[in-house]
Amino acid sequence: MNRFFALALCASLALFSSCNKSSDSGSGSNGKKLTVALMPKSKGNAYFISCKAGADEAAKEMGVDLLFDGPTEPDPAKQNEIIDNWITLGVDVIAAACENKEGISTALKRAREKGIKVITYDSDANPDARDFFINQATPEGIAQTLMDEAARLTDSEGEFAIITASLTAANMNEWRKDIEARLAAKYPKMKLVETKPCDDLKDKAQTEATNLLSAYPNLKLIMAICSPAVPGAAEAVKQAGKTGKVKVIGLGLPSENRKYVHEGVTQSVILWKTKDLGYLTIKAAADLANGKLKPGAKEYDAGKLGKLKVEGDSIVLGQPFIFNESNIDQFDF
Amino acid sequence: MKKYSRELTVAGVLVLLLLVLAVTAPAFYDPQPMLSRLAREAPTLILACGVALVMVCRQIDISIGSMFAVCGVCSGLLAAEGHPLAVVLAATILIGAVLGAVNGALVAGLRLPSIVVTLATMVILREGLRWQQQGAFINLPDAWQWFGLSQRGGQFTLIGCAFLVLVVLAWASRNFAGIRFLYAVGTNAEAARLAGLRPQWMTFAVFVFMGALTGLAALLNVVQSPQVDPKSGTGLELEAIAAAVVGGVAVSGGRGNLWGVFAGVLLLASINPALTYLHVEPYWEKAIQGAIILLAVIFDGLRNRPEVS
Amino acid sequence: MSAPESNHGTTRRIGALLFRHETVLLIVLVAECLYFNAVGRRFGTLDNTFDIMRHSAEIGLLALVMTPIILTGGIDLSVGSLLGLCAILFGKLWRDAGLSLPVAAVCTLAIGACAGGLNAALIARLRLPALIVTLGTYSLFRGLAEAITRGVDTFTDFPDSFLALGQKHFAGLPTQVWFFLAVAIGIWLLVHRTSFGRSFRAIGFAPEGARFAGLPVARRVALVYILAGVVAALAAIIYTARLGQAKADAGTGYELFAITAVVLGGTSIFGGTGSVHGTLLGVAAIAVLNNGLVHARQPREVAGMLTGALLLAALGASEIPKLLAKLRAPRHLAGPPPISPP
Repeated sequence: MNRFFALALCASLALFSSCNKSSDSGSGSNGKKLTVALMPKSKGNAYFISCKAGADEAAKEMGVDLLFDGPTEPDPAKQNEIIDNWITLGVDVIAAACENKEGISTALKRAREKGIKVITYDSDANPDARDFFINQATPEGIAQTLMDEAARLTDSEGEFAIITASLTAANMNEWRKDIEARLAAKYPKMKLVETKPCDDLKDKAQTEATNLLSAYPNLKLIMAICSPAVPGAAEAVKQAGKTGKVKVIGLGLPSENRKYVHEGVTQSVILWKTKDLGYLTIKAAADLANGKLKPGAKEYDAGKLGKLKVEGDSIVLGQPFIFNESNIDQFDF
Repeated sequence: MKKYSRELTVAGVLVLLLLVLAVTAPAFYDPQPMLSRLAREAPTLILACGVALVMVCRQIDISIGSMFAVCGVCSGLLAAEGHPLAVVLAATILIGAVLGAVNGALVAGLRLPSIVVTLATMVILREGLRWQQQGAFINLPDAWQWFGLSQRGGQFTLIGCAFLVLVVLAWASRNFAGIRFLYAVGTNAEAARLAGLRPQWMTFAVFVFMGALTGLAALLNVVQSPQVDPKSGTGLELEAIAAAVVGGVAVSGGRGNLWGVFAGVLLLASINPALTYLHVEPYWEKAIQGAIILLAVIFDGLRNRPEVS
Repeated sequence: MSAPESNHGTTRRIGALLFRHETVLLIVLVAECLYFNAVGRRFGTLDNTFDIMRHSAEIGLLALVMTPIILTGGIDLSVGSLLGLCAILFGKLWRDAGLSLPVAAVCTLAIGACAGGLNAALIARLRLPALIVTLGTYSLFRGLAEAITRGVDTFTDFPDSFLALGQKHFAGLPTQVWFFLAVAIGIWLLVHRTSFGRSFRAIGFAPEGARFAGLPVARRVALVYILAGVVAALAAIIYTARLGQAKADAGTGYELFAITAVVLGGTSIFGGTGSVHGTLLGVAAIAVLNNGLVHARQPREVAGMLTGALLLAALGASEIPKLLAKLRAPRHLAGPPPISPP
């Protein structure tokens, strides 16, 4: 009986594998619609959803088929598995925001070997694993903006703390490294006392911030580098009655922080125009596939975004944008 | 005294930790952060009490984290539409009870194992919510935070609410037949049936009750900030079950004291702040939490060594 | 006399065969394959089959070794965390301690065995409840992985010869599949063809009875947890080769998938009944579902929801006939309801 099942299983799998079309390499040429596969770091993340809004716009404009998929679990291997699936599906371009730089490069390189074009956005892979990196701002740029803004708000002296998503999040760790480098180089009178993870949960960020405020009575600023942590930290500062005494800055969406910015709890929210990032990613992806964007280009015509500089293999959207009291109402994402 | 040695040990460890903090980091006892922390733990206490009763009945419910998130989002959406507090409270508890009833029907009605049923419902609810919300926060109307009371007032209300639930359930588990019968069912369901109880109905009821408590806990969490995060509740089932276990509730049913659960909740909730106040690196948190759970259960095992080998 | 009886007997046997759990699961699997083949252009290709195999190798190993554990009436929630811990220790032994990859691999397997030994000591020796012990080690192992790497450290730049284990083919199949098959056959033989395997079921049915019958219960139970540790370490090595990177959060959530696959395959969570080939079918059913939904252009969340629904359906399907039979049986003939275990 047992052998029967084993044989039946092998037989059915073999049957389905062999009686079908063998894999042909990337389709999509000869007038068929281009398929662009867009991957966020994780689904259910409001930041990437706002990027997708711009991506949808570009997809409609360029007439490409947009696939949007991403991991729902934190396991690092999930992004690779999705890319493997896309390779088998035979998409034309993959645009990925990379959770694990080296890990995902394994899969992206395989995609390039099969003739699929690869670009990265928001967080880069290894340079040899993709054709271009759509850079909203370099990690150094983001870290420096955060650190400089922190220094500006605290007169370049005093204690501050960082709240990150998790201790294993790759791009946040890169920002942390650059922040600490900038701190050491330019602001000797400032001290980073702690870096706490919040598991990407607003409520946990609030608890962590409450503890930090009390454990470090001389704390002057909280820097929240994962987007749910910005409102979480702000709420903690507000409940502690330290509005204005302890500054809050971070990387987050204007819509989630509007209230706190108006109340003076959060001083600056740093981000970029996520919709433009999504738009640029898909436009560049489509142009890469149809040959309008070639490696070695110095400049790229990004449609409604104008002509953008290409530095090496990075297309730079611009500098990080600082949302504060004066301008936050102009944005609806 | 010996009967409560388990719960007293947990309380003892908690007191020891609190003493250490009093000496090395007295800032831990600052009233405002302490109040905030207690208010944040109020939902966890309610969940831990509920899951303790489920475990007393020899079942388990690992879907409470996902139910919590769903109830939280529902209450947020209702509040944003402008319904009054009473309506939202009733609706949230009802939604929780209905979700709990699904678990209960499958476990008690179809006699399916609770760990697998609640594993399935946990995944279905979590993925369904993620699909629907896509990570978007829900903004609450201004009057909602702290039930419209002041911050202090609201925090005391929340803590009082959770404590009330604890006291009522603890009293009931000694004096109210309905809850005492759960212990009977958990010890030996067949004997309970022969004694005239109806184990299947009681099991169903305990899951419905768990769901209702989850709804209440979710609302108590929602009023603490002006936005609802659909991801809240992640990992909460682990916290609640760990707190119950550390507090002396036996996963094999029939044994457990809600005051022990209370001590368990406080102990596990103190680890993370203790690390911050003692300036210990945050990456030790999970390891310490795991070690405490193991120590608690080893202590149990050594204490209850069977005489017959 | 014999001819009509044997016909009747054959019909009965075929009937029994058709309604066996594994058969139904096989039908579900075939139905999935047919559906996705029709809906997805590239689903039925060899490349995709290899994808499915590569993606489910590590998780399948965990499910395989979870089967004897659940058969004995236990459970192990810590296998996913152990995978993460072994992965970073493997990387650390190779990069920081300077060991060669084969030596580092052997050391990692030994570490896996020791970690499994911790579970074994607490569960088998001290007779502590498996659910809570492994809940504790679930946090402990992950916590140790985070503490050792401070969360930030990752191990990469493995030589290509090692990466071939996870990324290249060997004799027609992806390399890791050969390891998977070896472990699958080994565990199948252990469970279904040895007295050890029979003793697992006995222990699952009635541990005290098994003890009085002379079985070395503690030793047998310890064996399965130590085996789980070793297999988790092997899965960690394959995972690292497939990803090209070892991180502390590797394997997050794998234990739930493993338990789902085992229960889907017909093994009772209370122990005593179950099969390894059922687990294999369970792994295949979930892996095909996850893969197929991508080809069917469905969002990832649907895969999760359907897996949960499938699990409930599988459980319910085996219980509903029993329930109906009980309802139909005259009251005075119906026996006492079964004692509800945890």
